[in-house]
Amino acid sequence: MAFSTIYNVFFKRNSVFVGTVFAASFVFQAAFDSSVTSWYEAHNKGKLWKDVKLKLGESGDDEDDDDE
Amino acid sequence: MLGLRSSFRSSLQAMKSQSRLISASAVSAKSTYRTPDFGDYIKEKQDADKSRSYAYFMVGSLGLLSSAGAKSTVETFITTMSASADVLAMAKVEVNLAAIPEGKNVVVKWQGKPVFIRHRTQSEIDEANSVEMSALKDPQTDADRVKNPEWLIMLGICTHLGCVPIGESGDFGGWFCPCHGSHYDISGRIRKGPAPLNLEIPEYEFDDQKLIVG
Repeated sequence: MAFSTIYNVFFKRNSVFVGTVFAASFVFQAAFDSSVTSWYEAHNKGKLWKDVKLKLGESGDDEDDDDE
Repeated sequence: MLGLRSSFRSSLQAMKSQSRLISASAVSAKSTYRTPDFGDYIKEKQDADKSRSYAYFMVGSLGLLSSAGAKSTVETFITTMSASADVLAMAKVEVNLAAIPEGKNVVVKWQGKPVFIRHRTQSEIDEANSVEMSALKDPQTDADRVKNPEWLIMLGICTHLGCVPIGESGDFGGWFCPCHGSHYDISGRIRKGPAPLNLEIPEYEFDDQKLIVG
């Protein structure tokens, strides 16, 4: 009977259906964005500016000041 | 005309005798199509809610993806209209007010326009406040034009044709535009000459000893 509950709660009324879709799309966007970003940063570890900045900070500070 | 009306009346009378007004087709005229027996093709344990939920879930997922895509497309398009970082970096200018002595003018460049900053003395503030509103072409009190009466900050562009007025000159002890002879007083208000409006006041704020224009 679980499916009839799902049907009655989410799909029966079109307003609820569309509202659920829009709300879920907001959640999906945030989740998708953060997951892609974290994957990208893990994939390019060591090549990103935030990693390079730390290395530059050890040797020379003059370039560090330019950013921001 | 009379014949038309009488025929309409007689047709109304005919309708009264009929029992069905809305559905005019008789049972015998309805479809004779016989629904085939789908029994051989229907699953044994058919759960209508399950298949329906599955179909709606797929429709909803497609809607989710397309609405997320539409939102980010619109968002990207709108973001292109906002100011870029290099423009934003040039949008503000900081001035150290501690370096400007009382009774001196400083001109700074802000967004390609000159901004006049004057550290006014107490007598100049009193002078700006003593002016009658009726004597002004563009009536505006001095309090409306300054946040802190000691500091007068305004755009150094003559409201007539856009020349840059000269400080500490003119008949009213303020600014004088050499192009067509507009005289501004110590609050930057137009007093004499062709200019129609007072010198414009930009957005600015004070941050301790610093002035941020923009």
